[in-house]
Amino acid sequence: MFVQQVINGLTVGGVYALIALGYTMVYGILELINFAHGEIYMLGAYLGIIFLGFFTAIGLTSYSLPLALALTFVLSIVFCSAYGFTIEKTAYKPLRNASRLSPLISAIGVSIFLQNYVMLTQGATDKVFPHLFEETGFEMQGMTFTYIQIFIIVVSAVLMMLLNLFITKTRMGKAMRAVAQDKTMASLVGINIDTVISVTFVIGSGLAAVAGLMVAMYYGLVNYSIGYIAGIKAFTAAVLGGIGSIPGAMFGGILLGLVESLSSSYISPEYKDAYAFIILIIILFIKPSGLFGKAHEEKV
Amino acid sequence: MKKSFLLILLMSSVLIFSGCRKKEDVIKIGVVGPMTGDQAKMGTDFKNGVALAVEEWNTRGGVLNKKIVALIEDDQHDPKQAVSVANKLVNAGIAGVIGHFNSSCSIPASDVYNRAGIPMISPGSTNPQLTEKGHKGVFRVCGRDDQQGKVGAEFVINKLKLKKIAVIHDKTTYGQGLADEFKKFVEKDVEVVYYGGVIQGDKDFKTVLISIKEKKPELIYFGGIYPEAGLLVKQAKELGLSVPLMSGDGTIDPKFIEIAGAKAAEGTYLTFSPDAKKIPTAKKFVEDYEKKFGELGPYSIYAYDAANIMLSGIKEANSTEGRAITEKLHSVEFDGALGKIKFDAKGDVTVAPYIIWITKNGKFEEFWKP
Repeated sequence: MFVQQVINGLTVGGVYALIALGYTMVYGILELINFAHGEIYMLGAYLGIIFLGFFTAIGLTSYSLPLALALTFVLSIVFCSAYGFTIEKTAYKPLRNASRLSPLISAIGVSIFLQNYVMLTQGATDKVFPHLFEETGFEMQGMTFTYIQIFIIVVSAVLMMLLNLFITKTRMGKAMRAVAQDKTMASLVGINIDTVISVTFVIGSGLAAVAGLMVAMYYGLVNYSIGYIAGIKAFTAAVLGGIGSIPGAMFGGILLGLVESLSSSYISPEYKDAYAFIILIIILFIKPSGLFGKAHEEKV
Repeated sequence: MKKSFLLILLMSSVLIFSGCRKKEDVIKIGVVGPMTGDQAKMGTDFKNGVALAVEEWNTRGGVLNKKIVALIEDDQHDPKQAVSVANKLVNAGIAGVIGHFNSSCSIPASDVYNRAGIPMISPGSTNPQLTEKGHKGVFRVCGRDDQQGKVGAEFVINKLKLKKIAVIHDKTTYGQGLADEFKKFVEKDVEVVYYGGVIQGDKDFKTVLISIKEKKPELIYFGGIYPEAGLLVKQAKELGLSVPLMSGDGTIDPKFIEIAGAKAAEGTYLTFSPDAKKIPTAKKFVEDYEKKFGELGPYSIYAYDAANIMLSGIKEANSTEGRAITEKLHSVEFDGALGKIKFDAKGDVTVAPYIIWITKNGKFEEFWKP
């Protein structure tokens, strides 16, 4: 039972971590809590259902399911990245030199707008993800794992590794770290701040799109309000790990998933949502900057 | 985020109201249920059922020579919102209200209607508490969870003859109430190996299901609504936990099968009233409803009857005064699509038939009568 709960925890935790990365990257660079980020995740799930529906209609899913799924992933990422890019340009950029509260309120506004936009265009009822493939898995010593769980864990891990490589090895990654340390100084040495910020939003939104689509596939049920609680949980994960720190967000997300899974099986499932926040309070008491948050650590 | 949005809604609704309180020569009745959100299907069934009744009355010339207008409100299956829309309807000057759906909404809202002396008929709230509070103007056309839980328990004991079961609920007034009633009746003969709650709106029930699987029950009883029930059976199957699920009237909705997938939903037992399509008195209603709105929802007929009873009450009382209508609702026997309906002193129907349904080949079928 323990191993099975750990696998469940890793599945959920991987998703939290992917969303948390978006929060932490934006915070690292702009010191803004992007409350609209949870809605990008929700959009990812909806776009997945829409594109997959379209591919089913033109017969691509029956021709080659993996191809259809891959295209769905790519398109969802592209669309969500476009949403992220547009949101930054329209809702945050004009407020970049305003007081810190203004973009925060703007973010809440974007979140409310996106939720209602999806509710009005897609309907208020639950959308069911098409049952395209058998939810099969394999048994091992009395434990059952589904392939989709393994898929989520693997994809999350690979994406996190790629992101880490990108941040540490590429020119753009270096620029992002520089902007996170000191915006003015970075612009003085010739880094285009606007480009760096846009890239941050595009990457964060892309990761959220993958998370949304994987969750839609996993649970098979999506509605316009899923971004809210997922956003809050991922935000908790980011704070837990130390907001602004990328390894912190990854670790925080996975820790949160494991805590939820194990505590609800060994204590009681009734207060599942509460455990995450209890852990958060304890950690903030002991280490107010979060697990990986150091005063002078590189933030991005 | 959500709270601030609600606040804005509330504030704007106050403004809207203060602007439109002029006297009109119509009789208003309120229709409330979850019109949006994951349970919107139930709210829509209410709306359609009442709309059909109102339309029929209006073509016959209305009631007390006045046209009837149904005011539709959305409680979002949120108790706080339920109280706020109840106040809104009272201020709008309704003669009676058809609603709410969720017991957790009906119970607090009934206090508001009671204070205003406005009669309320719930088509779908089955928690015993609703009519146990002693509010004179509170009625329901459906049965009660203690009756429903008892039938479920009899089925498990006498027909399935099981020895070990698990009981879970969604911690709502309805879900936990039903699960507790069921547990109370079943405990005497069957061992309850697991009892616990899950969070309504959650999507991941694997942790609970794994704990349940360890205990090896022969059946899982779930007190709750279809979105969670659908995910429960789906995820149970994924975990290789192949015991049937049993649930109550909140789960009997085509969406349940859609969410779970026909394969996982197969063999789920549900307690519900007999098929509306097989009730002789409901024939005309079913035809008219399906012609107008398509597929009949599980609560459409209850909403239709509730509206008819309310309007008959107004007609009998020859007044839109709440206390006079309440008086008549208690004393008169109504001819509804469901058959003859009479309320007892508490406001419950005197006969509440519950039977066991089963999910078969992606459809619900009548299965067993106590």
